[in-house]
Amino acid sequence: MFRKLVFFLVLALILFVTLFPLYWVVTTSLKTLRDAFAMPPVWLFSPTLENYGKVLTNPVFLKGFANSMIISISASVLAIAVASFAAYGIVQQTPARRQSIEGFVLSLRIAPAILFVIPTYYVSMRLGLLNSHGLLIAIYAFINIPFAISLLVTFFEEVPKEMREAGLMDGASELRVFWHLILPVVRGGLVATFILCVLFTWNEFFIALVLSGRNTQTLPVTITSFLTFQGIEWGTLTAAATLIMLPMLILGTLVQGTVVRGMAAGSVKG
Amino acid sequence: MHITRNPTRNFYRPIIGFLAATSAALLLYAIWLCLHNISLMSTKGTQFIGLSNFVRLATDWRGVQALGRTALFVLLATSIEVVLGIAIAMFLDQDFRGKKIVRAVILVPMIMTPVIAGLTWRFLFNAQSGMINYWLSLVGIAPVDWLGNPSVALYAVLIADIWQWTPFVVLLAMATLETIPKDLVEAARMDGASEIRVIWHIILPMLRRTLGVAALIRAIDSVKAFDLFYIMTKGGPALSTETQNLYGYTVAFTNFDISYAMTIALFLTIVTNVALLVLTRFAMPKGIR
Repeated sequence: MFRKLVFFLVLALILFVTLFPLYWVVTTSLKTLRDAFAMPPVWLFSPTLENYGKVLTNPVFLKGFANSMIISISASVLAIAVASFAAYGIVQQTPARRQSIEGFVLSLRIAPAILFVIPTYYVSMRLGLLNSHGLLIAIYAFINIPFAISLLVTFFEEVPKEMREAGLMDGASELRVFWHLILPVVRGGLVATFILCVLFTWNEFFIALVLSGRNTQTLPVTITSFLTFQGIEWGTLTAAATLIMLPMLILGTLVQGTVVRGMAAGSVKG
Repeated sequence: MHITRNPTRNFYRPIIGFLAATSAALLLYAIWLCLHNISLMSTKGTQFIGLSNFVRLATDWRGVQALGRTALFVLLATSIEVVLGIAIAMFLDQDFRGKKIVRAVILVPMIMTPVIAGLTWRFLFNAQSGMINYWLSLVGIAPVDWLGNPSVALYAVLIADIWQWTPFVVLLAMATLETIPKDLVEAARMDGASEIRVIWHIILPMLRRTLGVAALIRAIDSVKAFDLFYIMTKGGPALSTETQNLYGYTVAFTNFDISYAMTIALFLTIVTNVALLVLTRFAMPKGIR
């Protein structure tokens, strides 16, 4: 009994520490300015949607939202389309060959972004590309491809080998087997990988900070512009923050199991 | 099927080839940039200057300090996150109601937009109206200027990083623990082994591989840490939280000294990767790679 009590107390502490920052942002966004900065803090208050009204009528925020949607969805679709072919091909190779290809793919994920962001910045500045959606879509697709390959390989290898062999026996071409037999089976994995690519692109800050221009700013960059003008308006800032992270928290919870698998893909298994 | 006419290779060859060619070209271009003196603020033409940028980096006190700070941050963040993460995972490795919900909650920090995590912690660490100082005042501790005091700021960012990334280790270790056969642990307990012996001799050895992978991934990622630093302190106060990655960013996009920034980035990549490879080769048991 005592053991159980201690267990639930510690569990409550872990959950509290984990969730408190999130709780505090969301509640602050619903407070009036006076309540937000009251000391001692107000735990019970009458919520207001005033801050959300301000954010949702702010053209800069709306533009950022549109940019984030366009860029993260296009880059992820592109990455999944390319990576699913690669993953299918890789899974059919001999173990030795697979290991060397997967090792190379993994090594692409180790380099810090700054290593390729500086040359890309310099070249695109000289070519006048710094304010185009295409640049960001291409860069994010390029980063998502190795990630998507590593993760999709783990889904493709779960498909029984007999399925492909049976298809080939029946005289179907490799491409038909891939498209009509295997892809439908790994649909769940494709969706999960797609969601994780969107999540990563949506949340990414460093590349967006350097390579986006006035017209292509994504939300994480947009929100930092709220920081500077006339001090910090915590009310609108937290409302914007809630609107930015909420879709990702929902998507992330949907693909719960895959998040950890995705982050460790390629290095966890032998 | 003949190996020479294996059509499945055509599925990955173009893409892998493209990735290899692009990264090789980028690397060569990066090296070329390091050997020249390209700066967007200078009116001089592009000149070949050999290894001068590397010499400059070796004698750049600000750069050396940033490197030391990066090493300290990586060391602390990785070790605390791994130890804490494994401990929490072992604690949660029992049947209780709502385990699924707990797992979902633990995922939250990881998928929260890092910029927003940074803003939130900046808000909580605020010297006047932040919750952390409020709680400290409840137990009679004087307010701390978390983000304004050069000897504290790095640890404030560290706390935010631990909050955001310990869940990764927890979830990874929980997944491994579920594959450990329960009867093995039960049998040891029946034989009278103490809880500490069970953990040390049965559970930890089985977690070794996961532990190694988690530590490697966290180390690689914390070398690259940028978002929390940029949002919470921007390298300040008095450069006390400027890591090598942040220094590279400042040189590139505040001073526009492209070549020198590239040298810093290349150095960071080489040094960290070599260090991590050596560490994994020597410090980790066989089988982790």
